[in-house]
Amino acid sequence: MLPLALAGLAVALVWVAPRVLARRTSLRRSPRAALAAWQAASLGGVLAAVSVTPAALPAVLGREGVADHPGLVALALLVSAAVIARLLVSGHLVGTRIRSARAEHRALVDVLGARDDHGVVVLEHPTPTAYCIPGRGSRVVLTRGVLDALPDDQLAAVLAHERAHLRARHDLLLEFFTVLDRSVPPMLRSPAALAEVRLLVEALADRAAVRRSGAVATARAMVAIAEGRAPELGMSAGTSAPVRLRLIAAGPHSALSVVAYALAVLAVATPVGLLGLAWL
Amino acid sequence: MPHSTNAPRLGDLERVVMERLWDAATAAGGNASGSTVREVHESIEQDRDIAYTTVMTVLDRLAKKQLVTRERDGRAWRYLPADSREVMTARTMRRTLDDMEVTDRRAALLHFLDGASTDEIADLKAALAEVEARAAGGSAAPGSAPPPGR
Ligand SMILES: [Zn+2]
Repeated sequence: MLPLALAGLAVALVWVAPRVLARRTSLRRSPRAALAAWQAASLGGVLAAVSVTPAALPAVLGREGVADHPGLVALALLVSAAVIARLLVSGHLVGTRIRSARAEHRALVDVLGARDDHGVVVLEHPTPTAYCIPGRGSRVVLTRGVLDALPDDQLAAVLAHERAHLRARHDLLLEFFTVLDRSVPPMLRSPAALAEVRLLVEALADRAAVRRSGAVATARAMVAIAEGRAPELGMSAGTSAPVRLRLIAAGPHSALSVVAYALAVLAVATPVGLLGLAWL
Repeated sequence: MPHSTNAPRLGDLERVVMERLWDAATAAGGNASGSTVREVHESIEQDRDIAYTTVMTVLDRLAKKQLVTRERDGRAWRYLPADSREVMTARTMRRTLDDMEVTDRRAALLHFLDGASTDEIADLKAALAEVEARAAGGSAAPGSAPPPGR
């Protein structure tokens, strides 16, 4: 019974939860708690998946029988190990690709612009853009275009946004979800989940920008950058910017975060509890 | 990020050396033949103390990163920027803007804003009006409050 429950839980957390969470747009107003729920659901899903076969041992063999069947025990652990190995391999592949892309980009940026004492590099380019290169040797990159287009308070908002990404290591969060996405079979993947996590990370950094310069300056900076970039991009669509602006307008909603944190605790505690029960 | 040492960072030197190479290429116009380590060293030494071997190391690193190309000229190498500064800047910007469909890239660099279409910019402006109205009048309906002056 318990191994089946764990298998069901794994499916629920890996397949159902991302689809449900991605649709709960109200959670976006407490992005920190929502991200905690996302992480917990993923972590809980992995825990449940690797617990299925270890939990099946006492159920199938009886608690005393386990010692008599070392072969089956080894097989059960092998299945769990395979799941973990799958995660580690995608983690390594994704991590290597991301780090080499960053290193290559940082090398270009560093010869093109001088870095100030705060790790900010300015590129001589008219298109207004701001981004950060996270990880070891992190940089915030601004273009001449963005320096020319934005007044000081809006520029401060943009910098606060990028620094929030770097300080809170949002890149690790995105890497974590990218790795999970690559680890599951394509039919289980949820592009909407990845997009939602990305949006939540942006909403969280926007909070830092609003704290620094206020909602109006932050919103104006977004519109100015979006307008400045449009001509070069042509037909690209699907930006999260209007959603982010409306989240800034709506402001935080702390009551929802209690629900999200409760879900987070539940998502991790349930598989641990079920595995414990199987062996008690 | 604060740095505890006063020693010039290798990354800074790479930029300084690239700038000398770009300047030399610009000065030479169309028939740029590149600069030797000695020429780059002499040029930088006018402004700061720098060891000949340091310039050599930095040029070697730049060549490994494919930011400069080099050709043999007798017993010396002549170094040329792989691209003009403008082309390299444009390439860097293109990488940050265009490769957005790749999930890895999106995790590699975090952008303040992803691209918006014309329709989305109209939507953005409407949302901005909401933010401004809220800031100006608290409960004022969107559009009814005059936007505060910039
Ligand atoms: Zn961001």
